[in-house]
Formats: sequence, C-alpha cells, structure tokens
Amino acid sequence: MTMKDPEYLTRIYEQIKEMNGIVETVSLNIEEGLNNKKGNLKPLLTDLCKEAQIKEEQIVEMCVEALIRYQPFARDLRSITVAMKVAYDLSRICRYHRNISEVLEEFNIRCDEPALMELYREAYNMVRESLEAYFGKDAKAAAAIIKRDAVVDEGYRAILRKYAASPGTSGNCILFNGITARIIERMADHACYISHETIYLVTGRRTDYR
Amino acid sequence: METKLEIKNLNAWFGEKQALKNINIKILEKSVTAVIGPSGCGKSTFIRCINRMHEVTSGAKVSGEVLLDGADIYTSMDAMDVRRKVGMVFQKPNPFPNMSIADNVVAGLKLLGGYKKEELAELAEKNLKAVGLWGEVKDELKKSGASLSGGQQQRLCIARALAMEPEVILMDEPTSALDPASTVKIEELVKRLKEYTTILIITHNVQQAARVSDMTAFFYLGELIEFSETRDIFEAPKNALTERYITGRFG
Repeated sequence: MTMKDPEYLTRIYEQIKEMNGIVETVSLNIEEGLNNKKGNLKPLLTDLCKEAQIKEEQIVEMCVEALIRYQPFARDLRSITVAMKVAYDLSRICRYHRNISEVLEEFNIRCDEPALMELYREAYNMVRESLEAYFGKDAKAAAAIIKRDAVVDEGYRAILRKYAASPGTSGNCILFNGITARIIERMADHACYISHETIYLVTGRRTDYR
Repeated sequence: METKLEIKNLNAWFGEKQALKNINIKILEKSVTAVIGPSGCGKSTFIRCINRMHEVTSGAKVSGEVLLDGADIYTSMDAMDVRRKVGMVFQKPNPFPNMSIADNVVAGLKLLGGYKKEELAELAEKNLKAVGLWGEVKDELKKSGASLSGGQQQRLCIARALAMEPEVILMDEPTSALDPASTVKIEELVKRLKEYTTILIITHNVQQAARVSDMTAFFYLGELIEFSETRDIFEAPKNALTERYITGRFG
C-alpha cells in the first residue's frame, strides 16, 4: 500500500532538493579546484554554504511548524525528524567543501596525488547516492552505501600510510593531502548518516551509527 | 506488571451482525491502554464486553473469555460484581441532575448500603480530591451536579466511578465533549489514576492516545489489527492499516 506524502512534507522535500542543488554546485567547483582547473574558490563556497545554512534553518522551521500544526505520527513523524537531520548533514557536507577550498587557498600548491581525487569522487558519489536513496525512500540502496564507508576509510588511511613511508615528500604536500583526505573521509561519514536516516525513515528501525 | 485483564477469543454480535472477531489481548495492571480505530470498528463494543454491558442490548451476544485477575467475568462472576470492579465513564458527562455534588459521588455506595452518613461524606471528599475537584466545589457540595461545567461534570462522573473502588476503569471518549482546558485536566487525571487502577480509554483523538496511554490497540472492522506500546505504534506501526489510520489517510 503506497501512501502519498502530505503537502507539508512535499514542500519540505522541495527545500531539501534545493539545498542538495547548492551542494552539487559546491562539489563541481571543488572537483575543478582539486584538478587544478579553478582557483580562488573560498569566497564563492563561503557564499554558497551560507545559502545552504539559511536553507537548513528554513527547513528546520518548516519541520517545527509541521510538528505543531499537524502533530504527525508514524512515517510522517519519521519524515520530519529525518528531514531535519538530512538538512543538517547537507549543511555539514557543504562546509566540508568550503574547508577544502580553504586548504587549497592556504597551501596554494598542487601536489600530484591521484588517490586523493579518487577518494573525493568515491565520497561524493556516496553523498549523491545517499540523497537519491533518501528521496526514493530506498532502504536497500541506503544500506549498500553504508557498506562503502569502509572503502573511503581505507583510502584515507592508505594516503596517510603512503606519506608516512615517504620521508622525501614536501611537508606542504603531506599536510595538504592529509588534511584534505581527512575532510573527504568525514564527508563520506555524513553520506552514511543520511543513509542510516533513510533506513529509519523507511523501516521505522534505527540502525547503529554515529 | 501483572496481567489484569486477559481477553481470549472474544466475539460479539448484534443480532446477525458480528461486531468483534476473535479478539485476543492482555491488559497490564496499572496501565493505560488506548483503544483507537474508525467509527464502527468495534471499540465501544469491545469495552462494553469487559464490564458485561454488551449483553444488556437486545439481540446482543458474546462468546469467548474475559478474565479479570484470572476469573472469567461471564462464567464465574455476577454481572453487578463485574460492573463494580470494572467502572465506566461515558462520552457525555452524566451526573444525576436531581442529586447534589456530594451525593453524586457516593450514589453507587448508597445503593450498596451499609455506610454511615459521615463515612459517605468522607468518601465524597476523598474521591473529589482524587479527581482534583474538591478545591473547586468544597463550598457548594449541596448544589446539583448539573450546575457544574462540562469538564467538572466529567470529573464528577470519574469521582463517582472511583468511589466504587474499581479495579479497572473504562472510558468511552471521556473528553470528546470538553474544551481544551478540561481535556488537559482529564488527561492528567488519567495519568494519576493509573497509579492504583487499570484504565482503558477509547479516543478518536490519536494525539490524545499518544499523550496518555502506555499501550495502544487499533481496531478495524471488528478486528484487533495491532496492539503494542504506544511509542512504537505512533512512531513505527507494523501494520499498514494502523499507519494509514494514525496518519489520517483513512477512507
């Protein structure tokens, strides 16, 4: 038996989709930045993340209003609590991108590290797919994303191991790649949080996380 | 907590029409159980079977067992004893209009007989205090029960039920005719009363069920569809019908 979402939830989902659009733009810029194709990203990303944060606040307000006005239960109630968390996760993901832009500006160097780009793509794909699973209410897809967190964790550790074993490498490159890899790893964690919330939304059961 | 009521294979009919179908449920002692479901689902019939009120309707029939502390109320207890142990509060407050406030509270006890005037006065005070009405009416105990507001009348009726020291209280939409402030008072009273009695409350207000009850039973077309802890049923019901009902997507 499928249930149509009430209008107030549809409006909340629209806002989250708009927020996701901001994060997509941020990601495209960072990918170009990491590929040495774009510089001076910090001001743009700061503005975009501010926009995302405002959107997050609007979503939370809409959720609180829905709780007061409709006193929802069951899946509707879960949808509200999950929407607030997803909006928060998206906001954090946006800020992680801004952090990368800060690192890019601070170090102003480009260290050839294909593994870092690979790590970023995998983490951001997890973010993108976790949002797809969330909007599609697909608990199975969400569970599959959570399993991929181990891949990103391992990619992060592999980068650290590599530099630990390469004493000749420039200190700036070690710092740049190490810090960026750490930020990317956290981004993947938030993709997992969104996936855990999706499972809760669909099944009503909490899975162990955070 | 011990099981106070155990209902086994309960069926009820009005003539040929079956109103309850094979209900099995255990009600824990000193708990509040909300009974919810759309109109005509059998909620009222269900609670009326628990104090043998169903059988007073012409053409009504019951089968199955209703065990109160292990004793079947249909085979091992007198109907009047059952109704003394299992009190009932109705949707519309129904104080006896020709009786004073105090007399309303002890009306059942007077019928039983054997109480002195002072004892009855004490019991009236005790039970009016239990429902939080004493402070409001202590100076006008001789006034008619009908002179009170709707919310006060309902608390008076609950005091009347409590005076009989029931082990179970059945409430059939006790706040549906009351304003929000009176509703809050009744809900707070329900939470207090469960310290020493077992309560079943029918309500069409699912928010109220979520607020006051420990367990919730959802009925549909005479069947018990789902029965579980209130938190679980309102956060993640197992049955799609329950979900549709509590999210307002029924019909």
